[in-house]
Amino acid sequence: MDLSRRDLLKTAVAGSLAVSAGGLLSACGISAAQTTSSPLQLSGTPKRGGTLRAAITGGSTADTLDPLAAITNADFSRVDNVYESLVGLTPTAQAQNVLADEITPNAAATEWTIRVKQGITFHNGKDLTADDVIFTFQTILNPKAPAAAAAGLASIDAKGMKKLDARTVRVPCKTPFASFYEALAIPGYSAVIPVGYNLKAPVGTGPFKVQSFTPGTQSTFARYDGYWQSGLPYLDQVVITDYSDATGQVNALLAGQADVVNLLSADVIAVVESQGKKILISEGGGWNPFTMRVDSPPFNDPRVRQAMRLVVDREQMMEILFSGSGTLGNDVFGVWAPEYDHGLPQRHQDIEQAKSLLKAAGHEGLAVQLVTSDIGQGTVQAAEVLAQQAAAAGMHINVRQVTATEFYGPSYLKWVFAQDYWYYNFYLPQVSLATLPTAPFNETHFNNPTYNKLYQEAIATIDPAKRQEIAREMQRIDFTDGGLIIPFFPPVIDGYGANVHGLVPSKGGLSLNAYDFKHLWLT
Amino acid sequence: MADVTAPAPAASVPPAAAPERKAHPMWDMLFKRLGFGVITLFCVSILVFAATQVLPGNAASAVLQNTATPARLHALEVQMHLNRPVVAQYWTWLTGLFHGNLGTSLASNVPVTTLIGGRIVNTLVLVLLAGVIGTVIGVALGMWAAAHRDSVLDHVLSVTALAVTALPEFVVAMALVILFAAVVFHFFPAVSVFPPGVAPWTHPSLLVLPVLTLVIVIVPYTFRMMRAAMIDALESDYVEMARLKGMSPRRVLIFHALPNAIAPTIQVVGLNFLYLAGGVVVVEYVFNYPGLGQGLVNAVSDRDIPVIQAIVLILAAFYVLVNIATDMVSLAASPRRRLPRS
Repeated sequence: MDLSRRDLLKTAVAGSLAVSAGGLLSACGISAAQTTSSPLQLSGTPKRGGTLRAAITGGSTADTLDPLAAITNADFSRVDNVYESLVGLTPTAQAQNVLADEITPNAAATEWTIRVKQGITFHNGKDLTADDVIFTFQTILNPKAPAAAAAGLASIDAKGMKKLDARTVRVPCKTPFASFYEALAIPGYSAVIPVGYNLKAPVGTGPFKVQSFTPGTQSTFARYDGYWQSGLPYLDQVVITDYSDATGQVNALLAGQADVVNLLSADVIAVVESQGKKILISEGGGWNPFTMRVDSPPFNDPRVRQAMRLVVDREQMMEILFSGSGTLGNDVFGVWAPEYDHGLPQRHQDIEQAKSLLKAAGHEGLAVQLVTSDIGQGTVQAAEVLAQQAAAAGMHINVRQVTATEFYGPSYLKWVFAQDYWYYNFYLPQVSLATLPTAPFNETHFNNPTYNKLYQEAIATIDPAKRQEIAREMQRIDFTDGGLIIPFFPPVIDGYGANVHGLVPSKGGLSLNAYDFKHLWLT
Repeated sequence: MADVTAPAPAASVPPAAAPERKAHPMWDMLFKRLGFGVITLFCVSILVFAATQVLPGNAASAVLQNTATPARLHALEVQMHLNRPVVAQYWTWLTGLFHGNLGTSLASNVPVTTLIGGRIVNTLVLVLLAGVIGTVIGVALGMWAAAHRDSVLDHVLSVTALAVTALPEFVVAMALVILFAAVVFHFFPAVSVFPPGVAPWTHPSLLVLPVLTLVIVIVPYTFRMMRAAMIDALESDYVEMARLKGMSPRRVLIFHALPNAIAPTIQVVGLNFLYLAGGVVVVEYVFNYPGLGQGLVNAVSDRDIPVIQAIVLILAAFYVLVNIATDMVSLAASPRRRLPRS
């Protein structure tokens, strides 16, 4: 019932294309003629002032302004403008200091020294100091209420942190942590909150301060005049409204009720552009894998995992899901990281080899259930496409769709064959979350002794070149033996009005250049 | 309806109200139905609570999604009191209710009343506006069509009404958006977004398309019932008599036929209001209107039990009250059935 309604709504939106393409009204022609500036055109002089209206999906009553608990796109759209991290991602997905002035390790990678920039203030006027950094990490690692980043930063010795001077902290680690700097760039891993932070009166160092916040509905943010990056932000105000789905979002954009909208599907691009609005397509580095449990039949046989990876026609899947945009995947994550091995042979569909692998494993005509849910871009559709492609090799994949809440319910991380979504990050931090026996989100129950040993070696290696060499060796194991199928890195498709300037595509995987509203200006 | 005309059992009449004479059957019915209504609501609350327990996942896992490590899950479950026995959780909620306390939203940690207070007003405005406008239009069109039975326009109206009843509300809503807001014309807003805490009537233009959608959906039912009932009445002996006495057609229509046609129509109007309380969910979804329906969809996906309970109880209470009101009004409109049977 729900599916058919959604389909129908999509058809209706698509139908509106036919209406406008038919040239029923001159109004369409006028607005189309007005669109001349390209999405990358930044040449104009930015103008101060104005209110940006953002229509954002992914939120609910569980929306939060706590940067350490943010999960959804709606959360990130708000916290990325209120708070800032020690380290962030550039539009090309490289790690870069934001609040940090300098972050340096000792030779054994067991101790890091963080110095924050001078002259940065929180919205309440308080200076950013070393105490705030200590308080942030202690809040993240609070054993009674661990934050989302707690698992990824578990090696930090929270009690041993020491303030060296007003802006410098020494962070000791219980085990070597050479990927510390990269890990801090994960959204929510180093968003700094002030000592005595109170979620009821939230303050950060970001370009916008909280004016009002109603979970699941709407929130407003005002320009922070004391922002440390001079001249920024350009906007006076940002209004973020939660939308249930893309239908309302697209309608709001077309009717001029929203200036920017996030995470559209490829099938609305034509409608949006035909009405004089703009589309921003970014190559995201996030990944929506199929996860096969390597400790459960039939996937405990590596030949079955290989066969499954070989039945996927990756190009066709991307064509169907994203009209061809996106980045081809090769069953290894961390696509923009310097250590990502582009030298691995690209895996393509090979039905004959898949069949013979299955036969050798004694699993001809394999029947298996794939649990899917509408959790990431195109996840459900990808499951359906995979089932069709696998049929060519005589496999029977029974796709079972569950709600997101059920998916992340008691069976999460226990499904034998399922999917998930991950935001982009560098290779090693993601390994510590996804593919080690100690990883909190090891969906595939991957536990390869050589791989584990290599990780321990890499994490203790400060020299980037040597670390990269070890990481690539690990990727070869991912590629030949892993339980993940990563057919593609989905593109991020956003929409915006012709009056919005300063948007750039970004590779981090979050919409609208990680909701960087401080660089946007309106005409 | 069967019990409407039944004699009043003495026990259910409040003794202080009328000690020496039998209460009026309408009051008797009202008290009895209200009593049953309270029991119904109680049963609904148990059913809803049980249903939320059967659903896979809880509020903690819904909030944490793919960041739900066992440690985080446990910490949040403790904070939300989800680790207590189910019966104890229900008891806390029920006793809170008797103190006028609907509890605190698990997902947002905000009192339920704060969270849904504005949504109740928003949805009520939508339902009342659509219900009243739809009823007036439906009754007027129905009367006109009955008076001009078999005219061309009557046939056009009847066929159109039949066609519209076949359209689901989201089709109507999308058609209106494409036509009047997003693509063809840009007369009205395509989505009804207004700041929290602001009354919807301060932005009337935001109400136009949602109300119009609901009006289009409910008018055909009222129209068809009104037309049929009016035709019945117009063919009756007393209308024949009134005509023979030389009364003007308008007087016959309004003072003789209408009072007799209104009782069955009231039932349809009641049903329409009940439909609106549910149908509003889809319309709120399409227009991103911050109402109860949207709140309920959110609450279910968040497994936010106190909010689910509150919204379902409000909707159930609305059903009970509209049913009672419908029966009372149609009883008032049928003098014969008001008298107790001897």
